[in-house]
Amino acid sequence: MSFTLCTSRLLAVTTLLASLLVALPPMPVQAAGLPAEEPTAVIRQTVDGILEQLRTLPDAQSRRDRISALVRGQFSFELMAQGAMGPYWHQASAQQRSTFVALFTELLEATYMGRITAYTNEQVRYGQQQVRQNRALVETYIQSGNTEIPIFYKLLPHQDRWQVYDVVIEEVSLVRTYRSSYTDILRRRGIPGLLQEMEQKLEQLRAETPPAVEERA
Amino acid sequence: MEPRLLRRLASLLLSGLLVSLLATAGAMPVLAAVAPSAVAGTLSGPGEDDFIADDPFAEDLYNGELDDAILADPLEPVNRALFWFNDKSYFYLIKPVARGFRLVPEPLRSGVDRMFDNLKAPLRAVSCLLQWRWRQTGVELTRLLVNSTCGLAGFYDPALNWWDLRKQDEDFGQVLGHYGVGGGCYLVLPLLGPSTLRDGLALLPQSYADPLYWMLHRDGLLGCRAGALVNSLSLDADTYESLVREQIDPYLFLRDAYLQRRAAQVRD
Repeated sequence: MSFTLCTSRLLAVTTLLASLLVALPPMPVQAAGLPAEEPTAVIRQTVDGILEQLRTLPDAQSRRDRISALVRGQFSFELMAQGAMGPYWHQASAQQRSTFVALFTELLEATYMGRITAYTNEQVRYGQQQVRQNRALVETYIQSGNTEIPIFYKLLPHQDRWQVYDVVIEEVSLVRTYRSSYTDILRRRGIPGLLQEMEQKLEQLRAETPPAVEERA
Repeated sequence: MEPRLLRRLASLLLSGLLVSLLATAGAMPVLAAVAPSAVAGTLSGPGEDDFIADDPFAEDLYNGELDDAILADPLEPVNRALFWFNDKSYFYLIKPVARGFRLVPEPLRSGVDRMFDNLKAPLRAVSCLLQWRWRQTGVELTRLLVNSTCGLAGFYDPALNWWDLRKQDEDFGQVLGHYGVGGGCYLVLPLLGPSTLRDGLALLPQSYADPLYWMLHRDGLLGCRAGALVNSLSLDADTYESLVREQIDPYLFLRDAYLQRRAAQVRD
């Protein structure tokens, strides 16, 4: 099984490489309808930007605002929210959808920031970049203690720019995890119930100041 | 720690395990009845503009099937009770001790963490071998040999530093998964956390692959394992705390993340 998987993966990579080699020299990537910028460059800019703000800005509030601006520029929270709601997206009214997107944005931002803040002083290594059809996958690795944590970003072109539509941490997709746990809540409590619970969680998060990252060294 | 406390901890753990296993056995017919409908209920039909379902990267990261990781959770009430128990033990017992460990310099704790990890190399090698993965088996055996000698019983990791030989994270649960054994159902083990019926049962033979099992008596063994766990938690960047803080329902989030990760581990 692993052999066939291996061969098919190898085949896919070779075809990808071959098509890139054939396609790249005569025409720029833009011609295929993809943004001119490299996906890795976009991620590098965002991640390095965030880490720099974390290291340099001393004030927690201004730090959070700057990082939030950086993240919102690169992450498509609408797409992520839609993915997190899954099949229920079609049942939701326009009003419910926009409320959900707003709440989800704030919650996901808190989660992502919490994770990236925990690794402020660690090194980020940029791995491979793949482009398949109109999607891109950028691999990054964060060295933490004895392990290297793989964080992959998935991007697609949105308004002429590469935008992140999923973050995969240690093979666990954030959007998929949200989707399965939200689907569970949606099945039990419906859309209004979920929105209410999200609201409560956010209030609780806003009330408390985020805990300082404990020194592990 | 005091031996009596350890013994009590051990019996608590064992009884918890027994209870959850018994409950599982009792719930088996229910499981069979509930499983298909439960899965069908959570499966999402790929909608017209479902960008996650028709993801060209799906075959790598999702293995084509969107919700292949989803597993029935017929024991949810029991699991939630154990989750509550684990949560309280984490915050009031285990984590405070781990914080105390942080007084020890970090390089020392990292080294000890690597030493304990080195002891799991035989388990990883056997797991690779059982899946007929020769190269990975070789990597694990080389790591064991080199790190146990030149790496001072695993305190350092020369195999990684010199030849970039990375740890192959395989265990008996993954071996079973490789041969088509499904997870069965989701299970929360007392103090050990998220698991599945398959992975929980795999823990029993797995403990024989631990060299410490053959070297130490029960209390010493338990103490060593507790020490290893707390030490590695002292190195963790408070992952669990942030999860509990940010999620509406941490139980569901942890369950789904765990199942997704295990499915990915079995796949590769």
